Amino acid sequence: MASYSSDRRQVLKLFGAISATCTYPFAGDDLYGQTAHEHGPAQTPNRFLNEADYKTVSRIADLIIPPTDTPGAIQAGVPEYIDLVISRESQHQAVVADGLRWLDAQAKTLGGSHFLELDEHAQLGILEPLCEAADADKSQARNIQFFALLKRLTSDGYYTSKIGLIDELGYKGNTVRASFPECPEH
Amino acid sequence: MQQKIYDVVVVGSGAGGGTLSSRLANLGADVLVLEGGPQVNTHTDFNTHALPFEFPTRHIPTMRPGKPGFDGERSRGLGGKTMLWNAVALRFSQRDFKGRQHDGVGEDWPVDYAEMKPYYDRVEREVGVCGNLDHLEDLPDGIFLPPVPMKCSDIAIQKGAAKLGVKVIHVRKATITRAQPTRPACHFCGNCMSGCDVVAKYNSYDVQMVPALKTGNLTLRGNSIVYDLPVNDEARVKEVRYFDRETRSEGVARGRVVVVACACAQSVALLLMSKSSRFPNGLANSSGELGRNFIPHITAGFELFLEDMIGKPSENDEGFLDHAYVPSFMHDKKRDYARSFGVQFGYHNRRAAGWARSIKGMGKSYKESVKARYPAYQTFSPYQEMLPNAESYIDLDPDHVDEYGLPRARRHWKLSEMDMRLHNDMKKRCREILEASRAQILSMSVDPTTNHEIGGCRMGTDPRRSILDATCRAHDVPNLYVVDASAFPSSSEKNPTLTIMALASRTADLIADRLQKREV
Repeated sequence: MASYSSDRRQVLKLFGAISATCTYPFAGDDLYGQTAHEHGPAQTPNRFLNEADYKTVSRIADLIIPPTDTPGAIQAGVPEYIDLVISRESQHQAVVADGLRWLDAQAKTLGGSHFLELDEHAQLGILEPLCEAADADKSQARNIQFFALLKRLTSDGYYTSKIGLIDELGYKGNTVRASFPECPEH
Repeated sequence: MQQKIYDVVVVGSGAGGGTLSSRLANLGADVLVLEGGPQVNTHTDFNTHALPFEFPTRHIPTMRPGKPGFDGERSRGLGGKTMLWNAVALRFSQRDFKGRQHDGVGEDWPVDYAEMKPYYDRVEREVGVCGNLDHLEDLPDGIFLPPVPMKCSDIAIQKGAAKLGVKVIHVRKATITRAQPTRPACHFCGNCMSGCDVVAKYNSYDVQMVPALKTGNLTLRGNSIVYDLPVNDEARVKEVRYFDRETRSEGVARGRVVVVACACAQSVALLLMSKSSRFPNGLANSSGELGRNFIPHITAGFELFLEDMIGKPSENDEGFLDHAYVPSFMHDKKRDYARSFGVQFGYHNRRAAGWARSIKGMGKSYKESVKARYPAYQTFSPYQEMLPNAESYIDLDPDHVDEYGLPRARRHWKLSEMDMRLHNDMKKRCREILEASRAQILSMSVDPTTNHEIGGCRMGTDPRRSILDATCRAHDVPNLYVVDASAFPSSSEKNPTLTIMALASRTADLIADRLQKREV
C-alpha cells in the first residue's frame, strides 16, 4: 500500500496544479489512507483446516497458480483466503474433506503415504486430469468438484490479492487524472 | 403547541425527492424531507477508494467501518440511490412517451417530449451532464458538458458495430467534465458506483439539497421511516406518520401537500400499507391499479475478450466506467415485436477478475492466459423495454416483515411471448455486434434479469386505469403526488433517472403554482 498511496499523492499534487479552477477542497488528499483497515490479510486468525490439510491445500493452490516471474498463490496469501471461505461454508467443508482423503488414497497407489510426499511430477499427474475434467464441467464426481472448488477459490483469492492484482495483472486504476486520454491507435 | 404545517412534506431524498424538494425550497415553499436512512457524508463515509485485498473476504463493503446507511435491501441514506448510481443520463424521446402511437401496443404517457423538454434542459443545466451532440431523433441531445473520449475497447466495438450499420455514441452521464465553483471535474478514478467522494458525479443531496438548505426553506429529517399516510373525510392526506430508525419513537408531520418519492417499489409499498376505510386496498387505489403495470428494464449480459487487446499491456482504462453507448437501432426496423433495446457496455472496473476462474488449465500457462486476457476483458449488457401485463406487479408480502416490522414489497414479473421475442433478438444482435468486433465470447446470460424498477403507480388520463394524473397527482387524493419511476406508464429502454428528475422538477413547479393559487 505504501508505494501505491504515495504515487497517488504525487498525482494529486499534479492535479491540483493543473486544475486551477477547482476551488473545491479536494477530499481525496487528506482522506486517502483511511481505507487501510485494521484487519489486513496478513493477520493469521485461527485456522479452520488442520495443519496437514492446510499444507495440502496450500500446495494445490501453488500448483494451480505457481510462482513465475511474480509470486504464486502461497506468497499471495491465497491459502488464508481459502481457509476463511471454507470455514464459513459447510458444503465446502465436506467437499474438501472428501477430496483430501481421495488425494491421499491416490498417493498410496503411487507408493507414497500422503499427497505431499509425491514429487511435483506425480502431484501434477493426479491434478491435471482433474483440472481438465473440471474445466470441461463433464463430471459431477466428488474429486472433480473438489478440484473445481479449489481452482475457483485459488483464482478468486489470487487475483484479488495485492500480488495478483497489481504485480501480476498490472492493475493501474484508482488514480487521479486531469483528463482521460484519447486511444492512441484511434 | 400546535404542530407546524409545512407547505410540502416529501418522503424520500433521491433523484425524485431531492430534485423536487430543492426546486420547491428555491421557489419559496416551506419543505420538509423525511428520509428513512441516515445522513451520509459523501466525502468521508464510503469505501470509495478501497481495493479488495484490504479485506480478508475480498468483498468491499459500501460504507466505511461504523458508518451507517446504504446496506441491505433498501438504499437508505440522504441522496438515495443517486449516491451509488452509474450516472447514465438519457432523455426519453417522443417515441418513448408515445410508444402506443408508434407500435400500437402498451401505454402512452399523458405528456410528450415537447412538454418535458424544458425540464430536461433545466435539470441538465442544474446538475451537469456530459455527452456528445449526436443529432439522433430517438435519443434527443441535451445541454451537454464535453464528452469523455472513448476507450480503445469502445472504439473496437464501435468499428465492429459500424460494419452492421449500428451506431455507437459517447455515453451521456450526470458527471461533470469541467469543474464548477463547488465541484471538481471527474478525475477518472473508476469508483463511480462506490459513492463519488468528490461529487463530480451528481447525487441529489450534495448537488441539489445542500445548496437549497441555504434558502432556509428546506428541513431535512433523516432516520425517519414513513409507514402510514392516513386520510381525512375529504380524501386528503392529513398527516405523515413515521418512526425513528434508531430509537423507534413515533412521529407525525403535517403538510398541505405530500409527495412520495421512495424509489418505485417502496413508494408502491407505502401506498399499499396506507389502508383506511376510504381506501381499503391502499391509498389512492380506488381503481385497483396500484402495484400493477410493473415494467422493470429487462437485461441480458455478455462477458467477452476483445481479440485485438489480448496480450496487450495493462492500461489504466477504468475511466468513469462506461464511456460509450449503443442507442436503440431496432425501433424503426421491421421486426416481430414491439419496442426496442439499447446497450450499455464496459461498466465493470478492473479491480477484480472474477472471470479468471473460467479460464481453462492450471499452472504457468493458466497464469499467462489470465494475464493476457486481463486488458481484453469486457462486459456488454443490453437493456430492453417490457410491456405491462397482468402477471407483473408489486404487492406486499403477507408473511414476511422487514427488520422494522413493515411488510416487504414483492416484485413479480413475467415476460410475454412478445417480450421474449425482443429478448432473443436482442441477444442475437448483440452477439453479431460482438463477433463483428472480433470478440471471443466467454459467457452469455441464459435467463432474462431485471434492473431499474419502473411502474406500479402509473400516470394516465383515465382514473380507472391509472393512479396519477398528468401532473403526478393522485386521481383520488388531491394533495398527494408521487415522483419516481413508479409513475412511468412505459419504461423506454433508456435509463430512467434523468426522466425522474425532469418529472420531479416539473411537478415541483405545478405544486408551487397550486400553493400560490391556494388550490391545495
